[in-house]
Amino acid sequence: MTTQTAQQALAEATNRKDAPSVVDVIAAGKPFPTEVHAEMRNTDAVVDVDQFSLWYGQTRALFEIKLEIPRQGVTALIGPSGCGKSTLLRSINRLNDLVDSVRTDGQMLLNGSPVYAPDVDVIELRKRLGMVFQKPNPFPMSIFENVVYPLRIDGENRRGLLMEACERALKAAALWDEVKDRLKHSALRLSGGQQQRLCIARAIVADPEVLLLDEPCSALDPLSTLRIEELITEISQRYTVIMVTHNMQQAARVSQATAFMYLGRLVEFGPTQSIFQTPHLDETEQYVSGRFG
Amino acid sequence: MSDVTQTTQATPAQTTVHRRTPFSARGEPRVWLMAMAVVVCLALIVGIIGLIVVRGSATFWQGPIDEVRLQDGSVFLGVPSVTETYQPQPDELERIEQARADGQLDNAHAFTKTGEPVRRRYFVGNRDLGQESFRWVPLWEVASIEQPKDVVLVERDEWGPFLGRVRTLRAVTDEDPNPTGQEFKPESVSDRELQSAIDTMEARRAAIARIDRTQIPRLQNQLRQLEWKLKAAHLNQERRAASADAPPAWLWWGAMVGCIVAVGGVLGLRKAVRHTNSGSRVPVAILACLLLATGSLAYLWLERPGSHKGMSDDQVTQIEQQVEAERNAILNEQSGLLTQLDDLREEDNRYRIIIEEPSLGRISPVSRSAPDDPMRLSQVVRIVPANDLSFSGRIGVYLSRWWEFLSTNPREGATAGGVYPVIVGTVTLTVLLTISVVPLGVIAALYLREYAKQGVVTSIIRIAINNLAGVPSIVYGMFGLGFFCYTLGGYIDEGPTEPTPVGSWWGLVGVLFLAILIAGACGLFVRRSGDRLPDSASRLISIGATVGWLVAVVLAFWAISSTPYFHGFFEAKLPEQTTFGGRGILWASLTLALLTLPVVIVATEEAIAAVPGSMREGSYGCGASKWQTIRKIVLPSAMPGILTGAILAMARGAGEVAPLMLVGAVNLAPALPVSTDAPFLHGDRTFMHLGFHIYTLGFQSPDSEATAPLVWTTTLLLITIVLLLNLIAIIVRARLRSRMATSAV
Repeated sequence: MTTQTAQQALAEATNRKDAPSVVDVIAAGKPFPTEVHAEMRNTDAVVDVDQFSLWYGQTRALFEIKLEIPRQGVTALIGPSGCGKSTLLRSINRLNDLVDSVRTDGQMLLNGSPVYAPDVDVIELRKRLGMVFQKPNPFPMSIFENVVYPLRIDGENRRGLLMEACERALKAAALWDEVKDRLKHSALRLSGGQQQRLCIARAIVADPEVLLLDEPCSALDPLSTLRIEELITEISQRYTVIMVTHNMQQAARVSQATAFMYLGRLVEFGPTQSIFQTPHLDETEQYVSGRFG
Repeated sequence: MSDVTQTTQATPAQTTVHRRTPFSARGEPRVWLMAMAVVVCLALIVGIIGLIVVRGSATFWQGPIDEVRLQDGSVFLGVPSVTETYQPQPDELERIEQARADGQLDNAHAFTKTGEPVRRRYFVGNRDLGQESFRWVPLWEVASIEQPKDVVLVERDEWGPFLGRVRTLRAVTDEDPNPTGQEFKPESVSDRELQSAIDTMEARRAAIARIDRTQIPRLQNQLRQLEWKLKAAHLNQERRAASADAPPAWLWWGAMVGCIVAVGGVLGLRKAVRHTNSGSRVPVAILACLLLATGSLAYLWLERPGSHKGMSDDQVTQIEQQVEAERNAILNEQSGLLTQLDDLREEDNRYRIIIEEPSLGRISPVSRSAPDDPMRLSQVVRIVPANDLSFSGRIGVYLSRWWEFLSTNPREGATAGGVYPVIVGTVTLTVLLTISVVPLGVIAALYLREYAKQGVVTSIIRIAINNLAGVPSIVYGMFGLGFFCYTLGGYIDEGPTEPTPVGSWWGLVGVLFLAILIAGACGLFVRRSGDRLPDSASRLISIGATVGWLVAVVLAFWAISSTPYFHGFFEAKLPEQTTFGGRGILWASLTLALLTLPVVIVATEEAIAAVPGSMREGSYGCGASKWQTIRKIVLPSAMPGILTGAILAMARGAGEVAPLMLVGAVNLAPALPVSTDAPFLHGDRTFMHLGFHIYTLGFQSPDSEATAPLVWTTTLLLITIVLLLNLIAIIVRARLRSRMATSAV
C-alpha cells in the first residue's frame, strides 16, 4: 500500500511540473549535465581540475570533475551533504591520501604543476596550500607556536623571523589585538571564533598559493561567523580562497564564483551572481531556492 | 488498585498524567546497591591502609617498663603488650584453686567478671641470657607491678634489647685486668658521665667502621683487581699458544684486492645511477658490493697479520712485576690500617658498661659465650630510660629510632637496625625499571598504532601483549634468570661457551650476507616494480623478502653468539666470581621491565588513539610529515596517558617480589648498587628490596615474633615509597594536563 502511495505521489509530481524534476533525473539514472558559464572558461586558473574521479574503496565519490578555479577571489563549493564537495577540496592538497582505500583518476594542476603524479612530494605540495577545517583544531601548544607551526616544520628557527611572521599572520587574521599580550598562553584557552581565526592565521603564515576552507563557520555562532566572513573577504584580496559551505547565503555573500555539486558531480559553475539569480540549469535553480537538498 | 481502575474508566486522558514510573524502572535500589559496593571498597582500602599506618608507626614508640614481682618471689622486667583471657591447663586450674583457698588472689584484674583468668604478654628481651623475647604471665600469679625510674632498655648491636639497670661504667686498666671488678657502685651511673663516655666511644666506633667497612674492603678490592689483571694476562698468553697461526698471506692479499674492487664498484655504480635511471637492478648491485666490501673489511680487520699474536712473554713478565709491586704497596697499607684498627679495638675493649637485670642479677654480657664479661660500651646503640621519660623525651626516642631505621645499615642478619640499603635498592630498581620500560613501550606502541598496517598480525601482537600482562610474575623471574642472568650475562662475562672455528664462522657470515642480499633485493624489487607484476607474484616475492630477513636475523644472532673473536669482558674473574653472569640489579630491573611492558604499551596505545584526528589532519594540512606530526602533536598530546602507563608500571614493578627472589634480591647485600666509585651504578651487584625484606623479616628471622612490628613498619615504608614515586609522576602529569586543558568551546 505504501509503495502504491509513493508511486502515485511521484506520478503526481511529474505531472504537475513543466520541467523534469531532480527526482525524475535521479529516477532516470541520468548523469547531471555540467554547465560551465562562459565567463569561467577563459580565466587564469590556479587550480585546474581535469576529469578528476575518486573512489573510497568500491564507492565512487567524485565523477569526472572538470573545473578551473580562477585566480584571486573566493570560489565557493556548494551542494547538499555527501555531494563530494569536501572530498574535492581535500583532493587538492591530497589529504585524502591518509585514507587507506582511496583511488583516484584524472589530473589536477596547481599553478600548472601536477598534483597527482608519481614523483610529486606530497609534503612539499601541502606546504604550498593552506587549509582550515570545519572544527577549529588548534594544537596543544602556545598561540605563538601554533601560528608558526608551518614554518617550524619547514626548519625555520630564527626567532625574529618567526615573530615577524606570527605578527603578520595574526594581523591578517584580525586576531593580533586580542592575543598580542598572551602569545605564550595555550591556544586551547581561546574561544571558538578566536580558535578558528588562529587556524586561518596558521594557514596563511607560510604564504600559500591557495587557501582551502572546509566549512570554516559551521561550528561557530552567528557573530563569530560574521567576523570570519569579513576576514575571508579581506584575505581574498591577496590569496585565492576555495571555500566549501553548506550555507548558501554565505556563499552568496562572500564568493565571486560558485560551483554547485550534486551526487559527486559538478552541476553548474559560474559567477556567484548568475548562479544564484539566473542559473542556467533547473536543478541549480531548485537547489538555491531551497526546493531540494 | 481500584482507584486506578476507576480513574481509568472516568477520564482516560488523566491516567497518563497520574501514571507513576514503576519502582523497578527508577532504579533506586540499584543505586543503593552501587553505593554499598563503593562503601565496601572504601572500607577495605581504609582498613588496609589504616592497619598498616597504625601498626607500622607504633613500632618505635617506647612504652614504660614494668618490674613484675610474682607470688613465688621471682622478679622480672618487661614491656607489656597484649592482655587477653585464656584457657588454663587442668594443673594450673588446681593451682588457682589452691591460691584462692590460701587467700592469695588479691589482684582484681586477674580474672574477668565471668571468672576467666587473664594473662599478659611481656617483652622481656635479654635473649643472650637464654630466654625467649616474650613471656606470657597469668595475672593471678603477679604479686606487684612497679615502674622504677632507674630501669633502662638498652638497644645493642646484637641479641636485641636488654632490660636492666645501669650499674657502672668502667675502664679496664693493666693493673685491674678483670673487667667485672668487685666494686659495683651501688648507685646508678650519672647521666653526664655516661653521655661523655658515649660520645668518645662513638667517635672511636666511627673510626673503626671507616677502617673496617670502607678502607680495608677498598684495599681488598684493589688486590682482587690486581689478581684479575694478572690472570687476564696469563689467559691471553695461553690463548696465543693455543691459537692457530694467521691465515696465509695470499688469502689476506686476495681479500684486500676484493675489498678494493668492491669499493671501487660501489663508487662506479653510484655514479652510473646518477647519470642514468636504469631501474631496480642497480640498487641491488650496490647492496651486493657494499656487503662484499663490509665482509672483506671485517675479515681483514679481524684476521689482520699479527692479530693472533697476543701478549709477548716480556709484556707478561712486565705485568707480573708491576702487579707484584702494587700488591706489596697495598699489603703495606693494609697492615698499617690493621695495626691502627687493632689499637682502636683494644682501646674500645677497655670501656665496659655493666647493666644488671633483677631476676637473677645477671649482667649484659660481651658475648653469649662469656656471660660474666660485661658488655663493651661500643656495643650499645641506645640507652632508653623508659620510665624516666617525659612526653617530649619519648617523642625524641621515637624520632631517633625512625631516623636510625631510615638511615643505617641492618644489623643481626637484617632483623634489626636500619633499612637504608633496602630503600636505596628499591628506589634504584624502580627508577631503572621505569627508564628502561617507558621508552621501549612507547616506541613499540607508536609503531603498532601509527605505522604498522592494522590487520591480523597486529591483532595477534596485541593479543600476545595483553596476555603477557596475565603471565604469573614468577615465570618472568625464571625467564630473567635463564635468559638475562645466565645466557646474556654469561655471554658478557666469558663470551660464547663453544665458539665456532674461524673458518666455519666466516662461512656463516657469508650465508648471512647472502640472506640479507636476497631479502633486500626482493624487497626493493617489490617496491619498485610490484605494480607491474601480477598480485600473486608480488605477494610471493614479498613473502620471500620477509623469510629472508627472518633467516638473516636468526643467522645474525647465531653469528654473534658463537663468534670466535669475543672472549668476554670479565673472563679473568671466572670461575671465582661472576660479574653480569649472576644475579644483579640490572637483570632484575630488565626482568621487571618485561613484566610491566604490557601496561605501558596498552596505556600508550590508548593515549595515542585518543588524540583527535582533527589535530593530525591539521598538522598534515600544514605540510608536516608523519614523523613531525607524531613528534610535535601526537606525542605531546598523549603524554599524560603515557605517564599514566608509567605510573602503573612503576607501582606494579616496585611491589613485585617473586621474580626478584630469582634474579637478584638478597637478604643482606654486601654493597649498595649505587656508589661514588666509578661507574657509580653497579648493575652487576645484588641488592636489597623492601618487598623481599618484608618476607625476610617475617619468615626468615630466628625470632620472628620480635620482628613482627618491624614487618609492619617496613610495609608502611614500602607503601610510602611507592606512593611518593607515584606522586611525582602524578604531579608531572597534572602539570602537563593543565597545559593541554581546553576551554569550553
